Amino acid sequence: MKYRVLSILRVLGLIVYLLFAVFPLVWIILTSIKPINEVYSFPIKYLPSRISFDAYRYLFSFARFQVYFKNSFLVATVSALFSTSFSLMSGYVLSRFQFKLKHFLLLTLFFVQMLPTYLLMIPQFTMFSKLKLTNTLLSIVIIYTGFGAAFGAIMARAFFKSLPKEIEEAAWIDGCSRFEALLKVVLPVFLPNVGAIFSFCFVNSWNEVFTAVLFIHSDHKMTVPVALYSFVSKAGIQWNVMAAGIVVALLPTVLVFAIAQRYIIQGLTQGALKG
Amino acid sequence: MLLPTFALIFFINLYPLVRGGVISFQRLTVFTLNRPRFIGFENYRTLITDPNFWNIILNTVVWIFFSVLFQLVFGFILALLLVKPFKGRGLYMGVVFYPWALSGFAIGLLWSWILNGQFGILNDILIKLHLIKQPISFLSDPRFAMFSVIMINVWYGIPFFAIMLLAALQSVPKELYEAAQIDGATMWHRLVRITIPCIKPAITSTVLLRIIWVMNFPDIIYGTTRGGPAGATNILSVQMINIVYYQNNFGKASALGIIITGVLLAFSVAYLIVAEKGAFEL
Repeated sequence: MKYRVLSILRVLGLIVYLLFAVFPLVWIILTSIKPINEVYSFPIKYLPSRISFDAYRYLFSFARFQVYFKNSFLVATVSALFSTSFSLMSGYVLSRFQFKLKHFLLLTLFFVQMLPTYLLMIPQFTMFSKLKLTNTLLSIVIIYTGFGAAFGAIMARAFFKSLPKEIEEAAWIDGCSRFEALLKVVLPVFLPNVGAIFSFCFVNSWNEVFTAVLFIHSDHKMTVPVALYSFVSKAGIQWNVMAAGIVVALLPTVLVFAIAQRYIIQGLTQGALKG
Repeated sequence: MLLPTFALIFFINLYPLVRGGVISFQRLTVFTLNRPRFIGFENYRTLITDPNFWNIILNTVVWIFFSVLFQLVFGFILALLLVKPFKGRGLYMGVVFYPWALSGFAIGLLWSWILNGQFGILNDILIKLHLIKQPISFLSDPRFAMFSVIMINVWYGIPFFAIMLLAALQSVPKELYEAAQIDGATMWHRLVRITIPCIKPAITSTVLLRIIWVMNFPDIIYGTTRGGPAGATNILSVQMINIVYYQNNFGKASALGIIITGVLLAFSVAYLIVAEKGAFEL
């Protein structure tokens, strides 16, 4: 009897949390496909009487979101590619070799995690303006690659540590060089983890707003978060358009997360905690 | 092999950190980028003597404390609900953990629509449930603003705690529970005597990590109130960004950045000490 009550409570708790977690996203999607007069109707209409893509049409023509989306995609993809390759290299060395500075380098990696983007954006801005690189997508790509490589290295190291050395050693015995063993034996097993690191870096770069707002001034160089930021201060933006903009900003990361979440979670819990 | 990562870290993180320290002693604005002037502790003095400064500190403490507390409590409950496998658990986790990957800034914008004083759905629901009579201006009423942004942050942070604590819960040896069962221990006893002591290291290090992270998380507040109304939700990180964006005063903002870094360092050292004691392996 007691057991039964408990399991009912458990199911109830899980359902309540599910609704709580999903409801905001559902609501913003609903808002973005409502005809404008139903967005501001009173009393509130929960479901649209008809589905309208006006907001998205406005967003991708008049508000030029196709440009911002392309910029964001470019910046996030390029920086994630670089930071993933860098972090795989350093993660491998940090997991397989013993050397003098290792402890210090690991501490540096963890320390750097504590420094958020906004805290360093002023000195970065002065540095990049000396190089005449402010207001370029290249500048934020470099910065995001730096942030991604540091975190990625921690994740990569944790992944490599969980991978038995014997797999590699067996390949060496079969006559593979260290590099060949990596490429032919380790990499195929490791591919999901590479995907996890890549998506983690991609998501972080896609979401970054404060550095981008400070660095990017030209309209045609804006990323999606910068465009949303400028929306807020623009008068007369309707909430269905705003909602559509939010959906465009969120959906790619939701998709990436849906694909890679299992591996990301594995990497995170291994990297930070050892139970 | 190590060079690209650590050269970048030096160029993007470590050198700017030092450079920020130098700028904090300068008069430097976006218009005088090439003509910095050393002014000693002037920036720090203006910051600390600002009558709002201690209010911002207090707000930061409130923001961190209640955000982390409720994230921990609800995240722990969720982890407990999830620890026993059931059909579709993987799918359930995949769905409810999604906020974790979202842009905090966009989340702030999203919730400011839900909490809208006129057309917000939350007011509508609360009125229909007869819990309130008049709609509440959640984000523009100073009495409710801090509560509202903390609520959003809790929504955002529950998955992180749940993931971390679930991993720890799964590593608690089953024999302990079996032994307790034989001894006739109640649910509550098992929770307090076995579960919590076993995962205490995980709780401590997750909480410390989260304190650092929440302190550094201006995104949600920037998407909703930008520190307003009347400074009610202004925390250190938001204030620093406001000084950069609205006053264009890089020197003063850097001084605040150095103060934040100091606090961060204290917490990081605490975290590393706890971590080295066995909660995780470097």
